[in-house]
Amino acid sequence: MQFAMIVTNTETVAGYDIVAIRGLVQGNTVRAKHAGRDIAASFKNLVGGELKGYTELLTESRREAMQRMLIQAQQLGANAVVNVRFTTSAVTAGAAELYAYGTAVSLEQIHEVRHKEKPGKAPETETS
Amino acid sequence: MIGAIVNLLLFLAPFVVFGLIIGRTVEKQHFRRLDAYDAAHEGFLITQIKSFPMAKHVEPAPSLVVAEVVIASDYLKSWFAKWRNLFGGEVRSFQTLQTRAKREAVARLRQTAIDQGFNAMCNVRVESADVGGSTMVSRIGTAPMAAVIATATAYHTSSAV
Repeated sequence: MQFAMIVTNTETVAGYDIVAIRGLVQGNTVRAKHAGRDIAASFKNLVGGELKGYTELLTESRREAMQRMLIQAQQLGANAVVNVRFTTSAVTAGAAELYAYGTAVSLEQIHEVRHKEKPGKAPETETS
Repeated sequence: MIGAIVNLLLFLAPFVVFGLIIGRTVEKQHFRRLDAYDAAHEGFLITQIKSFPMAKHVEPAPSLVVAEVVIASDYLKSWFAKWRNLFGGEVRSFQTLQTRAKREAVARLRQTAIDQGFNAMCNVRVESADVGGSTMVSRIGTAPMAAVIATATAYHTSSAV
């Protein structure tokens, strides 16, 4: 990971409390694949199977978009980004946009109050 | 006219046979591999809900995992689909293609989560991606393919399923 930042696609994070919301952060990138990949893909289309070139393209785009999103989050002073979503769109034939967005927040670890019985000590009674 | 059609069929025949044999083999192998992965990781908890069922609060903190898969159709599938386009109805050949891509994506998510030391993941989201141009439309010269981007949050669970 680029920064020691917690990134999830859930609204909450187990074991952590959201103490402050820093705002929406986003990152996007538009990438095109070179002609060689298109030619390779057209051959692959005869027999089927994974198009590794396109998979790589998606992976690279996603990393780039996420990196940009995380830089924004860091500038806002957040230590986590929650509820991250990815969307893709074709800008023109041969070029695709990948857009990552999420909510930058500050998390604090929950210090659990454990009610474990310790030897020689009566368990604490909870007042409800 | 008839000569032209016969010529066309003769020209297409090798591709159809090629697709029939290799495409089918590739698909069968892929399904077998997916079944094997799923069987090997039965204890791994996968949910699609937003909370963290049975979470155990240990380091490291929950983390986003992402997987991308792009799978090409084979010639036979595309050919079937073209015929199906004439009459309408379910395009089975592309349906299995999409299934493969989606199952593969979830399998990769799980693998990434396991590699990072987690034993569960929640909020699995699987969606079609756009890699430039139309993805599942079989225009002449366009490669029909299934592109999938899947996300989930990996975490620790206290109970093995």
